[in-house]
Amino acid sequence: MRNAQNKQEFDALTRPWRDRLFSVAQRQARSREAAEDWTQETLLRAWRDFGQLADQVAVYAWLLKILNRVVADDVRRDARRHQLAPMLTTGDAFLQEQACTSSGPFEQTVQTQGNEQIMTAIQALPDNFRQVVLLRDIEGFNYHQVGQILDIAQGTVMSRLSRGRRLLASLLIRAESGDGLAATSTHSGKST
Amino acid sequence: MNDLNKTETERFSELHLELQDWLAGYVDGELDDHRTAIIEAHLAGCKACCADVAHQQAMSRRLHDVPVTRMPSELHKRLDDALAGAPDHPSQVPGTTFRFNLRQWLTGLYHPVVVGAGGWAVALMLAGLLLFPDASIIGHDHIPMVSDVLADYQKVDLTDLPALGNTAEVLVPAPLAGGRLLATWSTSVGGAPAQAFAMRLGNSLVVQYRISEHVLFQNPDVRQAMATMGGYRTRENQLEVLALPIKEAGLLVVGPADAMPATNEFDLKSA
Repeated sequence: MRNAQNKQEFDALTRPWRDRLFSVAQRQARSREAAEDWTQETLLRAWRDFGQLADQVAVYAWLLKILNRVVADDVRRDARRHQLAPMLTTGDAFLQEQACTSSGPFEQTVQTQGNEQIMTAIQALPDNFRQVVLLRDIEGFNYHQVGQILDIAQGTVMSRLSRGRRLLASLLIRAESGDGLAATSTHSGKST
Repeated sequence: MNDLNKTETERFSELHLELQDWLAGYVDGELDDHRTAIIEAHLAGCKACCADVAHQQAMSRRLHDVPVTRMPSELHKRLDDALAGAPDHPSQVPGTTFRFNLRQWLTGLYHPVVVGAGGWAVALMLAGLLLFPDASIIGHDHIPMVSDVLADYQKVDLTDLPALGNTAEVLVPAPLAGGRLLATWSTSVGGAPAQAFAMRLGNSLVVQYRISEHVLFQNPDVRQAMATMGGYRTRENQLEVLALPIKEAGLLVVGPADAMPATNEFDLKSA
């Protein structure tokens, strides 16, 4: 009887977040099936650890932290984890093609691109960059919260976000100019 | 002369590279005053970094508008089945031992309330929150959806509610124990169609609004509150507005502040 109540409470707390959780999973997965499996595994682990949930009001951040571990476990052997992340600087030539002190032309570029194009570009980012961009810019967490979810320092959140957004901008600019979404790099360095 | 120029150029170049990783923090207002001043001094002489800041701002705005992907109904069923078959692990339910996050609550309150409220009032509010975990009260600073539902609520006259045919056939977004549905009507919230459900709760009128999810998550403060506290609450005069995510939509609830139910009193499962 008590277990039934526990499950009811767990369901009431987590059900409203299912779609958003699935969205985050899908934006990181390379197939819908993988996103579904990650979402299911996340909820099963969340149920297993439900007694450890310290703060019910932060349930979504807690679910994302679990999802992050599920994803990390699943892609541990994936070669993409060890790839060198492109290291762009603000001085890179093609970023400067749209350089200006106002956001005008680039704003047009991102506004005219559909959600699918944007998501394709996000999926093309290295894992470390993609995670912070998703959590900060789509899910709306602040740096402290992103750091807690991903178990990284706030300074690392900031540097990954700077580089991730820069790389995303380059991908979108190249996509707009018809160069496709192949990752581009003028410098290489291990992502931090 | 040339050496001096070269040194300055090198110094600028080093600083320029170092500051690359701070630009997101500057865009998001996450830098302290000292670092902000350094960045602003650099931006004054660096067109490339200015452009990067503009790009990051544009990118961030665009990503805020990316919609949530809907989970297919088969996956909902698959998750329900998986959870139903999962072993009964939890030895302690957080709901019975809710750990109150005082700092989070205090930072979420209106500053004047914290400063002005006296001991017993604060103690009573604390006791209430400990017993009924809920979203903190946050200022709304004219968020369109909040202004819209407040205006709609204030237009409603209890004696002149739109007639309702058969209340048994109407599904309230989030049923409330003891709440009785009085009427429902179509309206507009945040520039998108919405449906209002007026309910009597004791002697009070509480109106639920089913709104578009896009409108619900439009404001960054609301998104932040949703992400960290599970919901968003705000007040204007004697009225309170509660915002919650529900399946494929948003829920706004408006009612007298002293009669508003706690979040856990809503049956969100059927929402």
